[in-house]
Amino acid sequence: MSAKQNSKKFKWALDFNGSKNAEIPSPLGYNPSALVNQTEVVRDQRLVIKKSWDLALGPLKNIPMNLFIMYMSGNSISIFPIMMVGMMLVRPIKAMFTTQVTSKMAEGAQGTGQRIVYFLGNLANVALALYKCHSMGLLPTHASDWLAFVQPQTRLEYYGGGISFV
Amino acid sequence: MPGINVLAGITIALLLLSTCSALYEDQIRKFDWRSVHVGALKQSRVDLNHFQPRLLVSTHEDVVALLCPKTGAIMWRQVLEQKPRGDIKLLQVSGFSVDSSETAAAPIGTNLGFDMLTVQGHAPALVRGWNTNIGTIEWEWSIMPLNSEKAQDAVWFYSNSILYHIVPAWRSHLEVTAYFASSGHSTGSTSKIMASWITKETCTLSGTFYVCVDGKQLISLDLVSKSTQVIRTALETEPQGTIEAVEGLNGVVIVDGKLVSVNKDQAVCDALQGASYAVGSFNYRKIVVSAGLTSGNLKISVVYLDNCAPVPELQQTLQFPEHFGTPTLNSFDCKLKRNGDGKSCMFVFSTSAESIVAVQQGKVRWSREESLANVIDSQFMDLPLADTEGTLESEMKGKAVDSTSFDRDIASAFLRRISTQAVQIRSLFLHVIGLGPPPTDTQRAGLVRDSFGLHKMLVLLTRNGKIFGIDNISGKHHWQLYLPKVNSFDNAEQMRLIVQRTAKHFPLQPLCAIVAKNSVNGNGVLYRFNPITGLATEGGLLQLDFKIKQLSLLAETEKDFVKGILILDASNKVHVYPQHATPLANGMYLYTADVKSAQLEGYFVKYAGGQLSCTHIWNARLGGHNSEQQIIAVAGKNPIEHVHSQGRVLGDRSVLYKYINPNLVAFVTQAPDATHKSVLNLYLVDVVSGSVIFSMTHRKVRAPLSIVHSENWLAYSYFNEKVRRTEITTIELYEGKAQANSSVWSSLQAPPMPLVERQSYIIPAIVEALRETITERGITNKHVLIGTASGSIIEMPWHLLDPRRPIASTTQGREEGAIPYIPELPLPTESHINYNQTVARLRNIYTAPSGLESTCLVVATGLDLFVTRVAPSKTFDLLKEDFDYILISIVLVALTSGSLIVKHLASRKLLKQAWK
Repeated sequence: MSAKQNSKKFKWALDFNGSKNAEIPSPLGYNPSALVNQTEVVRDQRLVIKKSWDLALGPLKNIPMNLFIMYMSGNSISIFPIMMVGMMLVRPIKAMFTTQVTSKMAEGAQGTGQRIVYFLGNLANVALALYKCHSMGLLPTHASDWLAFVQPQTRLEYYGGGISFV
Repeated sequence: MPGINVLAGITIALLLLSTCSALYEDQIRKFDWRSVHVGALKQSRVDLNHFQPRLLVSTHEDVVALLCPKTGAIMWRQVLEQKPRGDIKLLQVSGFSVDSSETAAAPIGTNLGFDMLTVQGHAPALVRGWNTNIGTIEWEWSIMPLNSEKAQDAVWFYSNSILYHIVPAWRSHLEVTAYFASSGHSTGSTSKIMASWITKETCTLSGTFYVCVDGKQLISLDLVSKSTQVIRTALETEPQGTIEAVEGLNGVVIVDGKLVSVNKDQAVCDALQGASYAVGSFNYRKIVVSAGLTSGNLKISVVYLDNCAPVPELQQTLQFPEHFGTPTLNSFDCKLKRNGDGKSCMFVFSTSAESIVAVQQGKVRWSREESLANVIDSQFMDLPLADTEGTLESEMKGKAVDSTSFDRDIASAFLRRISTQAVQIRSLFLHVIGLGPPPTDTQRAGLVRDSFGLHKMLVLLTRNGKIFGIDNISGKHHWQLYLPKVNSFDNAEQMRLIVQRTAKHFPLQPLCAIVAKNSVNGNGVLYRFNPITGLATEGGLLQLDFKIKQLSLLAETEKDFVKGILILDASNKVHVYPQHATPLANGMYLYTADVKSAQLEGYFVKYAGGQLSCTHIWNARLGGHNSEQQIIAVAGKNPIEHVHSQGRVLGDRSVLYKYINPNLVAFVTQAPDATHKSVLNLYLVDVVSGSVIFSMTHRKVRAPLSIVHSENWLAYSYFNEKVRRTEITTIELYEGKAQANSSVWSSLQAPPMPLVERQSYIIPAIVEALRETITERGITNKHVLIGTASGSIIEMPWHLLDPRRPIASTTQGREEGAIPYIPELPLPTESHINYNQTVARLRNIYTAPSGLESTCLVVATGLDLFVTRVAPSKTFDLLKEDFDYILISIVLVALTSGSLIVKHLASRKLLKQAWK
């Protein structure tokens, strides 16, 4: 118990009474063991490229899965299909906006190609979701969808009259 | 096959469930009220000495009723057959016989005696004995006259338990037949009395005497006496008007306001002068009461019949309100118990404005407005704004007069807003401490616009020229106006009630106008008044010096927001009132329809060089090849209607655009036909260009016809003679899948011909009136209100009347939301908007939009008046009545405080954890 307390104490305590020629202590919270071994990175470069291709091809790999979900959820408008379509639409769009962040993790020789593939894959997913929306009738592509905004015709002539009073 | 039927039945039941908007039991009389009328008084009997004081009346609307003499409330009412069958010729109450035989001589032990007896109609003539306590018919007998045409002018009188039937053959003879009143057995043969002097205009029946004017003398016959001796009575001067009988005095007639007796056994007081007379008893002595109106005061003078001495206890003069018109004393009675003071005498007057007025002790005790039994036009008027809202309104809009010069820069607008609000706060403060300005009359009466625009002034125009301002929520009569000497137009066209300025233009007051015909010279009459106060404005009554042929409201308003009235006179000249709005009439189109020849004429109004001219531009003859067709109905669209949806969505999600021609008018003509009995034609005519858009023929079909025309559809009901039932045909017009011109509509640019959808339905009721619901913006569904002969109003959703209801249940129809076609229209009890508040003799239904988009105000007129509101798409813009405000607020408060507490607890817990 006391040892634990001591270690806690040492962790948060600075000893200013140490000898002056001693090495300057590391800053607080610095862990020298966290240093990446440069040589290891170079060695695993191929692995990284492979991994990042996986990442870039992820959206494309999702397409068959999405198609299956779409087929299963049907065209009726109810809460679950709507939620699915919403997710299918929102996820790739979100992913597209965060392409920069994602690709930063996998910067390499084939970075541009990966980015393009990733982007296209997401685009394909969006298109798929839009197609689903269309087949569910959620897209305002028909004249009837704009009917509420059709203004009534202004009349040019006014009339009056009726059965003769005489 | 039965499976399909069941399925269809279930679908319809489900659809109906969704549309049903029936009232709950606790909502009865919450949104609606009914006022019950009896019609203009014909005969009355006050009986204050009966064990239950009573006032028995028969009216011109063929109603027999018992009124409470204290309040005028109806104890019971029997609405009899329509004219001519129900025309009440005689009301005889036992104990009120002309002679002294006080009771009907019914054999003892039988129930053939009578309390009250009525004679109605002429072919057959129905004689009915009534139990006056509960208003039931006890017995009835009828006679069928040999010559029903002659019998039209027949008169009846009762004497000594014998009922006499007199059939005059003008300028020839009288046929008198006597019947035992309670059994209908003839007492002998018909006696024929030769009387070559009798004419329809000059003769009357007074008790048992048949009296005629012949120059300066009265020739009379005593029809009861065995010897038919001709009695001649000389007069001082030749009578100006017609002679009238005095009820209760045998053989006495009123000649120019004076009593003249032709019966030698009946002496009268010659000195009396009055407009109307009645006879009764006071202090066990017979008295004659005469009443007349002099300069707004009603004078009742009474004399004893035997010595002509005045009865000072009963003499009275009272202020008689102008809106009652001219009174006629109908009957009176005095209580026997309280002798001497005369305070218990009640006089019942009928007036020219069709009111029933009861006068007692020099005061109007009660009055009934029976002209409301004949409402011919109605308008719902918005009420004025409350003062505070009024100032806000004027701030928003600027004054109406200087709206163009209204300074619109931000700083001044801000200053204005601050100052108005300061004024508002000050007035609120003054109001709280009780020093504020007194509220105006209309505000004191509670006539202030509510936030939903549901509270309105219902302005009703009645057939005899009386106008009412009635609160549509409470049914209170706020004001009455009586226009004497006005009449409806020829061709059964009624007077018009026109709104020239609505209440939307604060601080300007709304303005209404009545266009009628002068009953004396037939010229036009224009009366303008404020519909909130009922006071005449803009000069009030205006006598025009021409006959009106047709009229119209101008499309645009002049600078004071008044819409001018365009009048076409009999010589095809046009006039505009007010006159300064004349230039606005430029470019108006007018049409007139001649009923008999079924000929339409179109005119174009042009303003040039300070002069209005009217050019005849088209002609249409709907009379058929042998000009036999006559117009029986004309239906245009409601000019205030808004069409929100311009098309209809089909099953494949394409749009079928509606053919919304604002100038389209439907004409229905009818003619007898050799092979088909009767043929009915419907024409849809564009009255600007005069082109017939569509026409349709129904064979073996005849009136009664009701028609309603709105948006792009038309519904009309008629009687099918072949299968003897009432049917409703509906028509919808569509432009097609594309609009030819989506921005403007011009009838002169040859718009494309519409596609017509039509369908007929069977309705298991007799339709008296059809009307569509109307709302402010036209977003709410349209329902058709069907008024039936039994007095109920049925709210019929348009999708049940829809002509696109598919015959075969196709997928397209189902996706379109159309119900499969079933010819019979269902009339579920939930859709009767007046539940058990039957409107007797329902004649018309009027609708008006309220301030709420969902709600439509309805007034049904007939003998009774029924006012309610309907919400065709339910009240989607209003919280439900049973909305639980308390629960919602408790939940809200609990949730908010709960989340606050939880937040606090969570932060504390986090802090604790951090310190661990």
